[in-house]
Amino acid sequence: MSSFLSMKNISKSFNHVPVLKNVSINVEHGEIHALLGENGAGKSTLMNILGGVHQPDEGAIVLNGQTVEMTTPRTSQSYGISFIHQELNVISDLRVYENLFLGNELKNRFGFVKVEEMCDKTSDILAELGVDIHPKTYVRHLDTSYKQMLEIAKALLHNSRLIIMDEPTTALAEHEVHRLFALMKNLKQTGVSIIYISHKLKEIQEVCDTYTVLRDGHVVGSNRMKDENLDEITKLMVGKSVSEDRLTESHSFGPVALEVKHLTSEGFFKDINFTVRKGEIVGFTGLAGDGRTELFESLFGFRKKYNGQIKIFAQDVNINHPKQALKAGMGLVPKDRKENAIIKDLNVIQNMSLSSLAHFEKAGLIKGRAEREKFNFYEQKLNIKVPNPKTTIDKLSGGNQQKVVIAKWLEVNADIIIFDNPTQGIDVGARREIYQHIVALADKGKAVIILSSEASEIRKVCHTIHVMYQGEVTAQFAGEEATDDEIMSYATGSKRGR
Amino acid sequence: MAEPEFERAKRSTKWNSRLSWIWTEYSVIIAFLILFVVSSILSPRFLEFSNLMNILMQVSIIGVIALGMTMIMLSGGIDLSVGSVLALVGVFSVIALNASGSIFIAIITALAVGAFTGFLNGFMVAKLKIAAFIATLGMMAAARSIALYTSDGGSISGEVEGFSAISNSSIGAVQSPIFIFGLMAVLVFILLHQTRFGRYVYAIGSNEKGALLSGIRVDRIKMAVYTLAGMLVSVAAIIETSRLNSISSSSSGQLYELDAIAAVIIGGTRMTGGRGKVVGTLFGVLILGILNNMMNLMNVSPYLQGFVTGLVIIIAVVFQKRE
Repeated sequence: MSSFLSMKNISKSFNHVPVLKNVSINVEHGEIHALLGENGAGKSTLMNILGGVHQPDEGAIVLNGQTVEMTTPRTSQSYGISFIHQELNVISDLRVYENLFLGNELKNRFGFVKVEEMCDKTSDILAELGVDIHPKTYVRHLDTSYKQMLEIAKALLHNSRLIIMDEPTTALAEHEVHRLFALMKNLKQTGVSIIYISHKLKEIQEVCDTYTVLRDGHVVGSNRMKDENLDEITKLMVGKSVSEDRLTESHSFGPVALEVKHLTSEGFFKDINFTVRKGEIVGFTGLAGDGRTELFESLFGFRKKYNGQIKIFAQDVNINHPKQALKAGMGLVPKDRKENAIIKDLNVIQNMSLSSLAHFEKAGLIKGRAEREKFNFYEQKLNIKVPNPKTTIDKLSGGNQQKVVIAKWLEVNADIIIFDNPTQGIDVGARREIYQHIVALADKGKAVIILSSEASEIRKVCHTIHVMYQGEVTAQFAGEEATDDEIMSYATGSKRGR
Repeated sequence: MAEPEFERAKRSTKWNSRLSWIWTEYSVIIAFLILFVVSSILSPRFLEFSNLMNILMQVSIIGVIALGMTMIMLSGGIDLSVGSVLALVGVFSVIALNASGSIFIAIITALAVGAFTGFLNGFMVAKLKIAAFIATLGMMAAARSIALYTSDGGSISGEVEGFSAISNSSIGAVQSPIFIFGLMAVLVFILLHQTRFGRYVYAIGSNEKGALLSGIRVDRIKMAVYTLAGMLVSVAAIIETSRLNSISSSSSGQLYELDAIAAVIIGGTRMTGGRGKVVGTLFGVLILGILNNMMNLMNVSPYLQGFVTGLVIIIAVVFQKRE
């Protein structure tokens, strides 16, 4: 029997730059197929061809033994293919059933919508998915994972036989991920096929049956998923092996740079105590909603209401604005880079210099040449890859954007640098590089704090790890003795106090 | 055979992307040049030196206001109150002039009133977090009302000799309002493109939260932007009042906000902030000036000028959408 879907010998170029070269992929009925590769490997292009967004230059799509042409997203949908994008396509100000039927509302013969019938159908589908939401709930009141469920419900409503999911777990907390996976396994039983795009190999191992790895527009590997394949898959993705070794060496630390005592903010975090010394890397981990981001936004002066004591180099400080944090010697590389860190209309150089423009001024005027020279320095030091530093920063890859943000705080000469989710949206190869830069900062005497929900990742770099659960620090480990399982048991609240 | 074809295609896409870059960066200048050439063909009087000077003279007041509007719109805001504030500033400065007999005190009063109303706008936007459109709409109504109340709804004239000389004198062949406009344009250009303040304005308009987390005092910068723009309205008010040696509390400054915002948008500044240039605004002002001038030269009813302005704004925005 032939496959449910085969894409055969697909090639595609944009502006004469080949993005896909002779790519073939097969997906069976009721199979979860992982599509892997670093950013820029061609995953999105391949899926956009399947979704009818782009047309292939060469090659064919065969569905149930018939060659089909996906000329528009609508044709793709009519063949039973649904594409769930990374940025969810739900409208917060509409109700659940309105989202589900958006563009396909059921109407009576006078053209009025049949609310009750749509609600009933919505309830049926949600029940089928094992999700308990009232159809008339406004979507803005739902968790991200439920919004994702809605997308899946929409796919079922359209009788989709194939669902494409593009990095569905990036915005999900651990327990939400489990909910999603259970649902995917259910769908599989009913014969629905899923193409699953992700960077997270652990997840893929848990939920996928088969995989295809793309690199530079080629298929470099495709097989059934087996436990022992993980290392090999990583090797295939980056084209070289990535070691699991610790990146940090223990060395002696300098004086205490940051000391926090009894820091409390009603409803977000309570009684937080910790110190960070010069040269030390301290990690904070936990599930989504554990309060770590709020804690450090408060420390950085972005949130104003908190009690407790903050000392920087043994001096009491009172920080009510990021500017004061900056003056006190703190720097923040925030999470959600696009919203919080980069100024997309400024060019790369201007993003680097934004917090330290005084360094480049002469008689009150900014000297563009001084800025450029300084940027060249960081370009080499941090290995930033920029075709033209005068282009706006949003043209760079995530990893390079992050390096520019790091350069910004180096130029400020911050003593204490806080990294919130520093590898968000950055591919495997560049992740390691970012961590190497972070370790190098500590080696040069910076006090470093890393916030991440991926304990396995920061375990490799931190000297000390604090685990948070519902606004409290529930455990503290030395980096080399922590294990993922133990961190997880404190982060989920199943173990307390240590 | 395939090879050279590929090369040619590559070159032509390169050309295309270069052309589109020129278009997005300089579209307002190209539009200006086209309008200029068309105008000189349509009317022989257009190119006369006195007519060109006349155009500059007529755009100088809106031009000065549009410079401040550029700063505000780059920061992501808007100011609907400029026309009313111009009348208010004019009324207060003439009162101060007549009471003190000093031109200097009249100018200081004008700058103080403009700065104060601008600061209030900025305070409402930055500290009270009121949408700029609403805050300045309120100021538009309030400032006009105070101007009417103070002057009993009528006009007041200057009674001090020499005040009208501010606008009615020339430096060489250049009338002083044009000179003042040019000077302000240079100052605002330097402020926006060469100073820390200007960089912060762009950063705030592009990504306010990102700017805040970069350690920028977003509130203070916003208040400074509105205050400076208010002072530019003062400068415009001085030119206007001095030119006629009087100010009308009811009709002076009517719909100036429309022309100023139009000039900024035609000049390519993005409504949501973060992107735009002072030079663009200058050409936007000139385009509006030439259009009005041509309609006069060709005996088009002045009642239709608003129609043409409206049309040009919409066309400009449609073209900018294409980037």
